[in-house]
Amino acid sequence: MKLKIDILGYRRTSRTILKTLAILLALGIPASAAVVETFREVHPKIVKVYGAGGFSGMESYQSGILISPQGHVLTAFSYVLDTDYITVQLSDGRELDAKLIGADPRLDAAVLKIEADGLPCFDLSKAVALSPGERVLAFSNVFGVALGDEPVSVQLGSVAAIAQLAARRGVFETPYRGPVYVLDMTTNNPGAAGGALVTIDGKLAGMLGKELRNSLNNTWLNYALPIDQLRKSVDEIRSGKFVADREEEQAKKPSRALNPAMLGILLVPDVLERTPPYVDRVAAGSPAKRAGILPDDLIVLSGDRLVQSCKALVEEMSFVDYADPIKLTIIRGGQLIEFTLRHAPE
Amino acid sequence: MTNTNRFMPAITAALLLQAVAAFTAEESIDAQLQSAVIQAVDRVAPSVVQIETVGGLERVEGQLLGAGPTTGLIVDPTGYIVSSTFNFASKPASILVRLPDGSRKPAKLVATDHARMLVLLKIEADKPLPVGEHFPRSQMRVGQWVVAVGKSFDGERPNLALGILSALDRVWGKAVQTDAAVSPNNYGGPLIDLEGRILGILAPLSPKAAGQIGGMEWYDSGIGFAVPLEDVLKALPRLKKGEDLHPGLAGITLKGENIYTNRPIIAACMPKCPATAAGLKAEDEIVEINGRAVGRAVEVNTEIGRLYAGDSVDVAVLRDGKRVNAKMQLAAKLEPFEHGFLGILPMRGGGRPGAAIRYVYPNSPAAAAGLKPGEVLVSLDGKPIANRFDLIAKIGLLEPGAEVRLAVSADGTERQVTAVLAAIPTDPPSQDFPPAETAAPVETAAQIGPVPLKIPEFTNEAWAYIPESYKSGASCGVVVWLHAPGGYDWNDLSAVWKPICDRYNFILLAPKSADPARWTPGESDFIDQLLDQLNSTYGVDRARIVVHGYQGGGSMAFLAALNNRDMIRAVAAVEAIMMGKLPQNEPTRRLAVYIAAAEKSQLGAMVKRIAEAFTKAKFPVTTINLGDTPRYLNEEEMMQLARWIDALDRI
Repeated sequence: MKLKIDILGYRRTSRTILKTLAILLALGIPASAAVVETFREVHPKIVKVYGAGGFSGMESYQSGILISPQGHVLTAFSYVLDTDYITVQLSDGRELDAKLIGADPRLDAAVLKIEADGLPCFDLSKAVALSPGERVLAFSNVFGVALGDEPVSVQLGSVAAIAQLAARRGVFETPYRGPVYVLDMTTNNPGAAGGALVTIDGKLAGMLGKELRNSLNNTWLNYALPIDQLRKSVDEIRSGKFVADREEEQAKKPSRALNPAMLGILLVPDVLERTPPYVDRVAAGSPAKRAGILPDDLIVLSGDRLVQSCKALVEEMSFVDYADPIKLTIIRGGQLIEFTLRHAPE
Repeated sequence: MTNTNRFMPAITAALLLQAVAAFTAEESIDAQLQSAVIQAVDRVAPSVVQIETVGGLERVEGQLLGAGPTTGLIVDPTGYIVSSTFNFASKPASILVRLPDGSRKPAKLVATDHARMLVLLKIEADKPLPVGEHFPRSQMRVGQWVVAVGKSFDGERPNLALGILSALDRVWGKAVQTDAAVSPNNYGGPLIDLEGRILGILAPLSPKAAGQIGGMEWYDSGIGFAVPLEDVLKALPRLKKGEDLHPGLAGITLKGENIYTNRPIIAACMPKCPATAAGLKAEDEIVEINGRAVGRAVEVNTEIGRLYAGDSVDVAVLRDGKRVNAKMQLAAKLEPFEHGFLGILPMRGGGRPGAAIRYVYPNSPAAAAGLKPGEVLVSLDGKPIANRFDLIAKIGLLEPGAEVRLAVSADGTERQVTAVLAAIPTDPPSQDFPPAETAAPVETAAQIGPVPLKIPEFTNEAWAYIPESYKSGASCGVVVWLHAPGGYDWNDLSAVWKPICDRYNFILLAPKSADPARWTPGESDFIDQLLDQLNSTYGVDRARIVVHGYQGGGSMAFLAALNNRDMIRAVAAVEAIMMGKLPQNEPTRRLAVYIAAAEKSQLGAMVKRIAEAFTKAKFPVTTINLGDTPRYLNEEEMMQLARWIDALDRI
């Protein structure tokens, strides 16, 4: 049935009116059309996770990512999950009991299971990798501000760098040693861990990490774990094949390792907080003596790693087997000089 | 009708196409921005280096320093590199620069720009090093896209943070501001535009300039600063010669308490300083600096803040309605200013004009001039005295040896006396002074007794004790108690301080550090805000605001006093070493110093040096020897301290 309407003296049909309205709507699309669309698609796949508060009343919430229609949730392995009563709240407000079905402590990742069906979710196998400088969106229940059926918060930023956490020993208090997406937006706040890092067009790329301190410069790191680092463990956890006791990727110390004295190097007394590793004396007939290391040389590199103090040098050398050669770089008179030394067999 | 209907499909199609075009154009803007950012970073990357240090301090001014790699920018093909002084606060034994190709080179620290907190390093370059293109300051526009670039992570590429240029003239003219994430991850690195041209060098700067690393606590706060490259290049020839640069000082104190609204009228020029040498005088109104018109005190700070010691400044002032031009050469250091002392304690409480005398110090200029308690000082050098604060301010501009004429009113008659100011006595008072109040009870709804306080942005707790005497109209000072590591129990603390507060009329303000084990520099802001809150609720005696602390709390007291010279009139530190840089004494911002330590202890030797440094800088320093073992004050010493605080409004 066509309604005939008089507009300004011209007769129009309802279909034409609908067409005109549609065009006007289209012209009214807001500036970040892609972000708006992505938000609509992604936020239902993010859940709010509530659990334990741990000591001294720390925040007992974080975020999670739905990775199967039946309710598998990828989240961060943290103190929040340290309870028998984990609750997951969906984007429609439904609160469901969740069970921790497995975790990989090495990756700081865990998988929860809720009883549901037909949930909107991400397919981990379709996750993408990011490049530095890429514009990204972080979805999470940061600060727990989203309650009930309120959608989680979304932040816009860029990938600041792709960095290896393994590069320096003992810098980050996390067992994870692989690459992370460092972000230029502030995501390291309570509640963000376990949230999703997606591209502008809504493809999953990473899981937001826990609050992690970079002890090299005493700043909190804003980062996400790339999905391709998590995929294998998550699949194994889901299929029940995951074996928690995995060999630590962290390098093991040899049973008999090198130390400066074995090479004939006597360092200055380690009295300061960061005593620079100056050579005090070189033992006669030692490998160091033969190589030409002199007193007052400052050792700056062991292998390719910077050693900033006597303690750091001794620690670095403790990873080198006593039978292996070691490359030491020193500064003498403003010049860098390399030496390769080997402990003489007894 | 049918005619227009025929055109409708065509119009519809055209409009639809336009909508689709708009939609896809919007989508690709993100992609365009992304690729522009990556290309811009790639363009500047050959000049961005990673700096590693060996050895060095772990803690500076109570703040834990990172040992991690930091960033620098090549500014000269022969191997000169600029970075932020933040990266060198630890005073490392050795500096290594890692070039973009991965090779490491030892570096020498050539010179430091203490005004802009930058350092110049030099490496030996075997071939000319790439230098980026500079973006002129005149073309900068607030709102333009900028990228903060750093090299703190391992890897070939620099790390980036995207944002906009938020402001052009910050930190007294020294910096531009951005909302891109600026942090130790990129201090020392370049701030670039989308074409990879360099606007400036990222650095933690703080308008408060608290110590060497002030400003770092603002990282991840949405505020970041960069020193314009243009300014760095201007200073480069001097830095290359190994010349350290310092902020230029003029020695001018401006009138008024609010630098943002007050006109720049000179209150005093410190003696033997550039302003005096240039012929500037008290009451001159500054109207132009280096060709730029100035109308507010803060603008004078900004114009002079840009300049270095040794720079020449053209100043124009209005004197008696006429314009006078002068030329000043800024200095790195000013001759210390010493406050002159007349020898009285004033009565408190308002009511009549002038300053009534509460007590006359024996053997003082006031005693020599025959002044007596009860008499009222009516005018100084011909100018009427409004109240004790006015007299404190007027005498505050004069040094020992200055002669003053006073009009004194007593028993209905007025007489003239002259006095020559002496130095402020530093012996601790041995007995109570006569009462200071003649005021009447006040009607107040404000809470008396113990009061918990809270500042929204801080999780820290705080308590205050408001003495009963507040209700009877007594003018109350404030003692800010900064606890030693471990925190405090309010019941115990208030039991000790209540009688003292009641007797000597001051409010005890006791903030708690967030981490019971230590105070952090950022908490000095918390203390400032608590004082503001107290002042607005209770109207405290501005002449008697003291920060007092024991051990770590004492160190924090020094820092708090440094950061708030406007409000804090004294610091009383027990068994504490100083955190922060030694301040300069200023005519309008008095600071009395009380230092107590066990002289025989190890700490005692360091504390002694601090006391000597303050004395050399002409602050009035009272030292108390606590004997052989470090401890807090005993009851008698606490009463003595309370009396010392009571006498802080001495003139």
